[in-house]
Amino acid sequence: MAVKDLSIDFLGVHFDNPFCLASSPVGNCYEMCRKAYQAGWGGVYFKSVAPASFAINEVSPRFDTLKKEGTDFVGFKNMEQTSERPFEDSMADMARLKKEFPNKVLIASIMGPTEADWTELARRATATGADMLELNFSCPQMTTHAMGSDVGTNPELCEKYVAAAKRGTDLPIVAKMTPNITDMVPSAEAALRGGAAGISAINTVKSIANLDLQNLVGMPMIDGKSSVSGYSGKAVKPIALRFVNELYKRIPGVQISGIGGIETWEDAAEFILLGARNLQVCTAIMEYGYRIIDDLTSGLAYYMEERGVDHLEDLVGLASENMLPAEELDRSYKVYPAFDMDKCVGCGRCYVSCYDGAHQALAWDEETRRPVLDRERCVGCHLCALVCPARAISKGDVVIKPGFAGDPAAKKVC
Amino acid sequence: MATPYTEELGQAYTGVTVAQEAARCLLCHDAPCSKGCPAGTDPARFIRSVRFRNFKGAAATIRSNNALGAVCARVCPTERTCELACSRTGIDKPIDIGGIQRFVCDFEESCGMEVLAAGIPNGKSVAVVGSGPAGLQAAASLRVLGYAVDIYEAEKAAGGVLRYGIPEYRLPNAVVDSEVARIERLGAHIHLNTKVGQDITLDELKSTHDAVLICVGYSEPKMLPAFEGNEAAETAVHFLHRVKESAGTLSLPRSVLVIGGGDSAMDAATSAKKAGVPYVTVVCRKFLTAFRASKAELEAAQHAGVTIIDGYAPESVDGHTVTFRHREADASFTCTADLIVLAVGQKADASGLGLDLTSDAEGNVTSDPQVFVAGDIVSGDKTVVNAVRCAKQAVAAIDAYLGGER
Repeated sequence: MAVKDLSIDFLGVHFDNPFCLASSPVGNCYEMCRKAYQAGWGGVYFKSVAPASFAINEVSPRFDTLKKEGTDFVGFKNMEQTSERPFEDSMADMARLKKEFPNKVLIASIMGPTEADWTELARRATATGADMLELNFSCPQMTTHAMGSDVGTNPELCEKYVAAAKRGTDLPIVAKMTPNITDMVPSAEAALRGGAAGISAINTVKSIANLDLQNLVGMPMIDGKSSVSGYSGKAVKPIALRFVNELYKRIPGVQISGIGGIETWEDAAEFILLGARNLQVCTAIMEYGYRIIDDLTSGLAYYMEERGVDHLEDLVGLASENMLPAEELDRSYKVYPAFDMDKCVGCGRCYVSCYDGAHQALAWDEETRRPVLDRERCVGCHLCALVCPARAISKGDVVIKPGFAGDPAAKKVC
Repeated sequence: MATPYTEELGQAYTGVTVAQEAARCLLCHDAPCSKGCPAGTDPARFIRSVRFRNFKGAAATIRSNNALGAVCARVCPTERTCELACSRTGIDKPIDIGGIQRFVCDFEESCGMEVLAAGIPNGKSVAVVGSGPAGLQAAASLRVLGYAVDIYEAEKAAGGVLRYGIPEYRLPNAVVDSEVARIERLGAHIHLNTKVGQDITLDELKSTHDAVLICVGYSEPKMLPAFEGNEAAETAVHFLHRVKESAGTLSLPRSVLVIGGGDSAMDAATSAKKAGVPYVTVVCRKFLTAFRASKAELEAAQHAGVTIIDGYAPESVDGHTVTFRHREADASFTCTADLIVLAVGQKADASGLGLDLTSDAEGNVTSDPQVFVAGDIVSGDKTVVNAVRCAKQAVAAIDAYLGGER
C-alpha cells in the first residue's frame, strides 16, 4: 500500500488531503459532514447559506442526468439553490462539526444580495469556528439576479462583495467563480483586489440536459415547465481544467481550489498539475457516496510514488508550462498512425471515421478486413486511434513536413 | 507456440474491457459478494477501485488478504462464493469477479508491485511441510508477522496441486512460478526434493523450529477396489501430473474413459481432449445437477467436446471394458477405452510423519502442541480458496501459541 503524505496547505490552512466536499447538496448538515470526515475527506465546504430573510423554496423534482450507453452519469443538472434549511441550523451544525473535528477543515460558504448582508454573513459564519470562508458568486439557478452567477460575471460586484465580507471576518476568503463567462480572469482578479486570498473554480455550467419529447419541456419537469440550471459531473471537467489553467497562468501566485467533474484520482491529479492545490467534489459523491475518497487518496498516493514525489505540493502546476497558446505549438511535423494488426479485430471503425470524419487516408481490405494506410492522404490527425476499440493504433513514425526542417527523432509524440 | 492444452482458458480483460465489466458492478452498499469469500477477500472493494481507475489500490486489496490472488482469480469456483450473492444477478448476470481479479493481479505482476512486506524478525521460526496452496499462504502470512519460514517440499518444484494437479489451461505454471517467487522474495526458504518423514524427520523439524505446520494436502489418489492391478487404469492425480509435466505433449491413446464427477474428473477429461485424445467419456455416479465440479470446469469439459454421462456407477470391470449400471433406472451400458482414469477422490499421504491424519482433523491443532495442520487435511472444502482461509487461521493459531511477541 502506497503511503504518502497527501497533506497540503491552501490559503494558509492545513488540509490532511486536498479532497473536500464542494458546497452543494453533499455537505448540507452535520450528519453528512461527520460521515464525510470519518470517511477521510480533508475538508468540507458547507452548503451555501443566504441571509435568513431570503426564503428558499425548491422545486420537485430538481435533478436530471445526461447519460450515454451505460448507467453512470456523464453529466448532472441541478436546480437546488443555497441551503433550504433554517439559517441558524446551518450555523449550529457548523459550530458542532468544528468542535468535534477540530483537525478537519471546515469552510463556510455564504451568499448575499447586499454588501451589508455579505458583512453580516461573514461575521456569523466566522463565529462558528470555520477555518475559511467561500463566497458564492456563481450559482446559476438562483431565483434572484442579485445573487449567484450574475454576480460572478460582474467584476465590480465581485470586488465590492469580497470587501464587504472582509469587514465581517479575519478568515481567509476564497471566491467561487462561474464558468458562464468568456474570460474568468477579470472577475477573479477583482475578487482578489477586494481581499480574497484564493479562487474556487468552477461552479456549474448553465444547461438544459434533456427534453421530455412527449411533454415538450426540459427536464426535470415541474408542472409542465422547466428552467436552465447548473450542469456538473465528468462532462464539465474539460471546461473546468481550461479555467484553472488560465487562472494559474495569468494570475501570478494565485491559489486555486479546483472543482468540476472530479471522480477519480486521475481527474484530481489533472487539476493539481494545472495549478489547483485544493479540490472539491460534489457530483461523484451524489452518485457513488463519500466512499470514493478511498480510491481518490490511494490512487493519488500511488501516482506520487510513481512520480517519485513525497509532497503533494511538488505536483502543483507541473503541467502548466506545457500548455501553450495555439500559435506557439510546433507545426513542423506529422505523426503517422501505426497499426498493430495482431490487436486489430477487423471492425473497420477506423476506416469509417477516417473516410467520413477525416481525410480518406485509410482503404479497407475486404478480404482481410484490415485498414490500409495511404501515407499521401494521411494528415496524422489520429482520429482512427481515438475510435479504435482494440487500442490497436498508436503513434508511428514522425516526418517533417515539406518546407520545414528538424529532427523527427527529437519530437516528443507519445 | 500455444497448444490447446497450454492456452489459458478465457480471454483476459484489457484496460478497456475491465472498465466495462467493473462499470456493470452496482457498487452495492454492504456488498453481498464481500461476504461470500471464504478467504475474506473484499471483491466489492477491489472492483470499486477498478471502477475509479485505482488498479494499484485494487491489487493491494487483493494481495494483502490473499498471497495466492492470481491463482484464486483463475481457479476459484466463484459461482459458489462471491458471485453467488452478486446483486447484479437480479438484472442480468453476476459480475465476472474472477476475471476482474485476474486482470488486477496480472497488472500487479506487470508493474512489479510488492504489496506484502516481511515483518520485523521476531526471532522465531516455523517449518511448513508442503508447498501447496495452504503452505504458500501460511508462509506468506508468517513472514508478514516476522517469523522465519522454511518450506519443505517433496517434489522438485514448489506449488503442490497448483503445479502438478491443475491443468495448464486453467492455471499456467508461469502464474504459479510468480506467486511462489513473490513468497520467496518475502523471505521464505523453500527446500525442494525434501520429503518430510523420509529425507528429514518431523522430530528434526520440531527441534530446529518453534512450530511445524503440516500442509501435505490430499496428494494420494483413491482407487476403486475393482480397478486394483488393472493395467488399463490410472488415477486422475497421476494422469494430470504427467500431462502437465509434458505440457500436454505426451503420447496418449485414442480413447479415454474418466470415472468421477469432481474437478479432477473434469480436469482429466478436458486435459485428455486438449492433449489430442479424440474420444473422451466421463461417467459419474452423481446426476449432473449435483456434480461437485465447478461450473467453469464442467463448461470447459463440455466445450472441449467431452461426452458426459451422469447417474451411472461402475458395476463390473474386465480389463479395458467397464459395465455401468444406472443408480435408479433399470439401465446399463458397457464402455471400452484404451485408458481408464479414476477420479474418485484423494486422501492425505502422511506416511512417515507419525501423525494420525486418517480422518479429517478438526481445527488447526493436533495432539502435539508444537504441530499444526492446514489445507485439505483439515475438514472442509478442498478448494484453493479454502486452503488460503485455513492457512491464515492456522497462522493465527501458531502466532497465539508462540506468544506473538515482537
